[in-house]
Amino acid sequence: MNEPLIPVQKHSNPAPDSGLTSSTGEQEVLLEINNLSKNFGGLQAISDVSLSLRAGIVTTLVGPNGAGKTTLFNMITGHIQPSEGDVRWQGESLIGKSPWKVARGGIARTFQDLRLFTHMTVEENILTMMEPGAWLWQLGGKSGKARRYDKVDRILERTGLTDKRHTRALDLAYAERKFLSLARIMATDSRLWLLDEPASGLDPNSYNLFLQLLREEVKDGITVCIIEHNLDIVVNISDRIAFLDQGKLLADDEPETILNDPTLAAIYFGER
Amino acid sequence: MTAYILNLLVLISVYAILSTTLNFIIGYAGIFSLAHAVFFGIGGYTAALVAMHVSPEFFVAIPIAMAAAAGTSLLLALPALRVRGEYFVAASLGLQVLAVTLFSEWKSFTGGIGGVIGIPSVELFGYPVYKPWQFLIISLICLAIIIVIIRTLVHTSFGRSLKAIRDSESAALASGKNITVIKTLSVVLSSSLAAVAGALYAFYMSFINVESFMLDTSVLVMAMVIIGGTATILGPLLGAGLLMLLPSALTYLWFLPQTEIGSIQQIVYGLAMVLLMIFRPGGIVSSHPGGGK
Repeated sequence: MNEPLIPVQKHSNPAPDSGLTSSTGEQEVLLEINNLSKNFGGLQAISDVSLSLRAGIVTTLVGPNGAGKTTLFNMITGHIQPSEGDVRWQGESLIGKSPWKVARGGIARTFQDLRLFTHMTVEENILTMMEPGAWLWQLGGKSGKARRYDKVDRILERTGLTDKRHTRALDLAYAERKFLSLARIMATDSRLWLLDEPASGLDPNSYNLFLQLLREEVKDGITVCIIEHNLDIVVNISDRIAFLDQGKLLADDEPETILNDPTLAAIYFGER
Repeated sequence: MTAYILNLLVLISVYAILSTTLNFIIGYAGIFSLAHAVFFGIGGYTAALVAMHVSPEFFVAIPIAMAAAAGTSLLLALPALRVRGEYFVAASLGLQVLAVTLFSEWKSFTGGIGGVIGIPSVELFGYPVYKPWQFLIISLICLAIIIVIIRTLVHTSFGRSLKAIRDSESAALASGKNITVIKTLSVVLSSSLAAVAGALYAFYMSFINVESFMLDTSVLVMAMVIIGGTATILGPLLGAGLLMLLPSALTYLWFLPQTEIGSIQQIVYGLAMVLLMIFRPGGIVSSHPGGGK
């Protein structure tokens, strides 16, 4: 008999002001994935996955390596087009849309390998995310510019990057790069954040700051879908968990149900 | 001696315009084009024909040359920029080869191998400009204006978009950047500004033919950018100066066989590129001192 992933009580130790309310059944569905499949030649990367991301909560995608989690993100954001199925964002299909159109529609993402604008400064990285449709210059004149720089200041302060404002992304330490990745997504006006292993490799202090930031953002109305292998993070932030294995969605339920399922635990730890 | 130095300075400033405009797409947008000489040529041929058949006025010939290069580059960039990285390099190489064939064979436009002869002196508000020092002043003013345009652009949101695309296309897409349009605009701008160099060259030489616009020229200009330092303002200027002065400098080395100067020059270029890539990959004026590009 397999042990569960982690014995949990739903939000057993949430922060007092946690934004992670759990009444998942009542929220509006922001993003709906219907019967999504993706083949890469003979490899079935995603197979008939249907999933809903509800507004204002954190949905975590878990599963062993190669389960198709990042491929699912890539199909939502238009970086990869699905072989079959549909993705609907606030009722509108995203199929066939370019990634830049999906991004401007309100879906922001991070990458597992970060993909920072490495030769640009921290400030430039953040500013770039704030001007998706800008041509030669941003509209709004001096007041608009002042607002943008105020926002940059706030983001830098919250992510602890104020002192690194003029440092190139390439020259940042690992944890700082992770926070820049988060800072960039905070600079967008997106409603849905897709975070691909945002906390992997963080030290305890950085990890706590990351959790705090995420909780504040969710409290402010951001919807988050996160890919994470760290079960501590999964337990601490998830309102809902979707479990994928070999491209198939095996379960989509509340954390305690998923994390206490010995079958899923066996798959996760490669015992089955 | 003065005439020789003036001639050299005019050519350096013309090539500095070419390297600066190529640096705009290589250094800031990460688009490696081996077809820059094509737009140099389109600018030269167009300005020559406008001067011969319409008006030799600077402010007529140069804008028409720029428009011709911009239009051509727009037509070519739209499909070519859908491919990325090394595929674009290959596509630009194909374009360069195609253009050389057209320049050689389209006799009514380019005069074929014989080229266009008898290009009249350019006029500035009706005054003919034909002395080398006058050309030097005009080409330096054009170079300064182009530097100001590019320097201003790279500090706007457009410049940030270019740098974002250079660093990570997929992340730029995920940030909402329409990268095809942005890359196309940058190529069109770079090409139209390169046409200014072509027009100045045609007026200065009063004769042009296909030999000035071949793959060698594209490679030479790319070498100027890479050796000088990409994504910097000073680097391409320095690169143009060094590579244009090199052949002259070699002729002063008495121990070298003068009949082999051309081959020695190629060896020096090649060695310089290899050594730079090993010891200073960002170029002489590196925008990233760690060399981590």
